[in-house]
Amino acid sequence: MAPRKLPKTDVLIIGGGWTGLTAAYELTHAGQRCVVLERGKKRHTATSFGAPEEHDELKYAHRYSHMMDVKKETLTIRNNRDQQALPMRRLGSFLPGSGLGGAGIHWNGQIWRPLPSDLQMRSHYEDRYGKDFIGPELSVQDWGVTYEELEPHLDFFERICGAAGFAGNLGGEARAGGNVFEGPRSADYPNPPMRQPISNTLFGEAAARMGLNPFPMPSANVTKAYENPYGAQLHPCTYCGFCERFGCGYYAKADPIICVYDQIKDHENFEIRFDAQVLRIEKSEDGKTATGAIYLDANGEEVFQPADTICMNAYALWNVHLMLVSGLGKPYDPETRTGVVGRNYSYQTVAGVDAFFDKSVETDPYMGAGALGVVIDDYNGDNFDHSDLGFVGGGYIACKQYHGRPIGYQPVPEGTPKWGAEWKQAVRENYNHHADLVVHGSSVSTPENYLDLDPTWTDSFGRPLLRMTFDFPENDRKMSDYVMQRAMDVAREMDNVTSVSGTNNAAVDKHYDIVPYQTTHNVGGAVIGTDPETSVVNRYGQMWDHHNVFVFGACLFPQNLGYNPTGPLMGLAYWTLEHMKRDYLPNPAPLMDA
Amino acid sequence: MAKLYSRRAILAQIALGAGVAGAGLPVSHAFAAQDDRPWSFFTDAEAQWIAAVADVFIPQDDFPSASQAGVVDFIDFQMATAYGAGEGLYLDPPFPSGAVPEQGYQLKFTPAQLLRQGIEQAGQLGDIATMDATARADHVEQMSERDDIVGTLIAELWKLTKQGYFADPIYLGNHDYAGWRMVGFPGAHAYYTERVDADKRSVTPPPRGIAHDRGGTPYPPRAIGGGSD
Ligand SMILES: Cc1cc2nc3c(=O)[nH]c(=O)nc-3n(C[C@H](O)[C@H](O)[C@H](O)COP(=O)(O)OP(=O)(O)OC[C@H]3O[C@@H](n4cnc5c(N)ncnc54)[C@H](O)[C@@H]3O)c2cc1C
Ligand code: SF4
Repeated sequence: MAPRKLPKTDVLIIGGGWTGLTAAYELTHAGQRCVVLERGKKRHTATSFGAPEEHDELKYAHRYSHMMDVKKETLTIRNNRDQQALPMRRLGSFLPGSGLGGAGIHWNGQIWRPLPSDLQMRSHYEDRYGKDFIGPELSVQDWGVTYEELEPHLDFFERICGAAGFAGNLGGEARAGGNVFEGPRSADYPNPPMRQPISNTLFGEAAARMGLNPFPMPSANVTKAYENPYGAQLHPCTYCGFCERFGCGYYAKADPIICVYDQIKDHENFEIRFDAQVLRIEKSEDGKTATGAIYLDANGEEVFQPADTICMNAYALWNVHLMLVSGLGKPYDPETRTGVVGRNYSYQTVAGVDAFFDKSVETDPYMGAGALGVVIDDYNGDNFDHSDLGFVGGGYIACKQYHGRPIGYQPVPEGTPKWGAEWKQAVRENYNHHADLVVHGSSVSTPENYLDLDPTWTDSFGRPLLRMTFDFPENDRKMSDYVMQRAMDVAREMDNVTSVSGTNNAAVDKHYDIVPYQTTHNVGGAVIGTDPETSVVNRYGQMWDHHNVFVFGACLFPQNLGYNPTGPLMGLAYWTLEHMKRDYLPNPAPLMDA
Repeated sequence: MAKLYSRRAILAQIALGAGVAGAGLPVSHAFAAQDDRPWSFFTDAEAQWIAAVADVFIPQDDFPSASQAGVVDFIDFQMATAYGAGEGLYLDPPFPSGAVPEQGYQLKFTPAQLLRQGIEQAGQLGDIATMDATARADHVEQMSERDDIVGTLIAELWKLTKQGYFADPIYLGNHDYAGWRMVGFPGAHAYYTERVDADKRSVTPPPRGIAHDRGGTPYPPRAIGGGSD
């Protein structure tokens, strides 16, 4: 049966998370009638995330009640092309969102900017280290947009979130106590940094003694009563320790519901439909534009929503999936290394360092917050000399205290048996005397890490599953090991530390594993750029092949930064929206020549 | 020896290994009398087997063992509800062989099916009820190394045991906040703005769960064993 056809709207937005609701806010105010289709449920910070019920570790942190349902949609996974990809039958390595606010309601709130050199990764390394420094096995490329161009938009998103931090580079002037490596900021953070617990403080002191440059992690866990530019009211964080994987009923963690949705929901040009699962995007007969999207409504009926302009805001992985099942753009073929959709998928290379204190340091790990950390950026990006290291990229090292939720937080020193009496004793003795360090490393793109469609398994809507082919590239194994060693050096320098151990997800003898949580920082697959042979969208986020489709989210990243993605991807979102409003909507046409 | 509540005596034998007395078991709750509740999912024999394995994972010391803290009740409840029925688990076929561990769970069973069938298979590898504590620990270790449903079962049970020991008591484990008191976790009522950067910690507040103000844990752990009162 042909899908029921609805009246046309100006803009159709697929996905109601950070990027989708922001697109709706900005385009609605530009006079566009916007319809947002969100596959998940309606929910609200005020009514859905209140304590103490929200503080249910089992339900939210381990049963993933706020996240997407793999029974409906999942992907298949393999480490290389010689393996058979098999379904990700349970969530694990990453936790994509579903429902109003998307993953933005259960993020940590670590709000970063890219380094200026990150956005010109290939040309920067070639200029500094020579043409051949980036080996042929890497498909690292420039973003096609510069830090200077993104700065006002990065700054604006920090204001939307009421970000808490201390600027390390204010208008070109370095400031001790902030991140001295960051690009110039046009203004300081809107709110002062978070208060730091003892473990993070001792880390900062040790790093400073070693001549490194510690600073408080930039945070969207808000530190003061604050009103954002859209008029949203935020409250100070209580350090409740139920932050990442949970919604914040205190209105203290910036989320897209309170920061954006509440400020747009009553606008006459705005409409959002929940339980609206987009199945595919339809193209015009000549294939040059998209005409709208077919979705399943709450009653399970297929509906066609026509639109003049389409914004893809379904999260990195599902944007790529929608392109592949809809025939948007040219799919990537690793055999011939041609095509672009699915190309340059990358991730985040994470290592952990555990430091254990003697009994005199009591950390109270349950007092935590999603972005509570002290960081050094001395080994991130190209902030350190790579000449003799044999790799590109780096990562930040943070000592962090997110939570002490006891199902998930059971730090024990190396050599402890995996269960039994000794394990129990060790958990008991170390719970309150542990410093938790992370190496949050970049991820280069390679021709062999990519996304396409699986030949065997389908989702509950009958569409082929997305297939992920990914393993840690040699470059990132070296990078991660190097930066982890530096993290261990700092951990050993910390006062009252009695033992230090490290775990590297990308260690030589390990392959990327879909089971343990790493990060929900899936990036690439529909990358931004200036060359249609190596990018899906032009530098304004507009599809080369279908000029009325604009793409948002981390799928745009040509390779991954050493930072968490939301600050950068929201900077890109505001950049795209500015060009849509100023240049595209008055004259709908390609914004760049192919 | 003082007369123990009889079902608990059987629990003690099952959980701690034959011949070890279970003196000092906490019977600290006003609802302790309600002890003829049937299992929601397990048979008595299955519950005994789970208790034996869970108590290898978390044996009794100054703090209760897994089964004493209600872990078996927790798992029973999980198996009888959405998680056990496969919520959050994609179970579409096919299920080809040759999976590598990095691809995660690849069996066709819901958790409830995994436990039932896994326990049956594990029963053919030895009778845990008749083993002493050391033999039980070795047996669990050996089962965990198997590359079959029994190995997967043990991994699943270890995960569930930790969840039951440390989850909010509304799920029937962590009885009397055993797990939370052991590590010093104050629970669901969490406001630490004024304390987070204090030089020296003040006393950790006593644990309070989600339903604390409504009377805390509704029931103590069931006695395990099905012995006669
Ligand atoms: C536990 C956790 C912690 C995190 N912490 C941080 C952090 O500290 N810092 C940071 O920078 N980032 C963090 N992230 C990542 C951050 O959440 C994402 O970068 C961000 O939410 C991306 O926004 P988005 O709009 O692209 O996608 P999402 O927020 O995922 O929103 C996409 C929406 O699209 C909907 N959708 C998908 N497919 C369809 C379809 N076919 N039809 C209709 N709707 C659809 C989804 O249901 C979802 O609501 C974290 C993520 C998680 C899970
Ligand atoms: S730690 Fe702070 S921001 Fe996070 S959920 Fe708790 S109150 Fe909200």
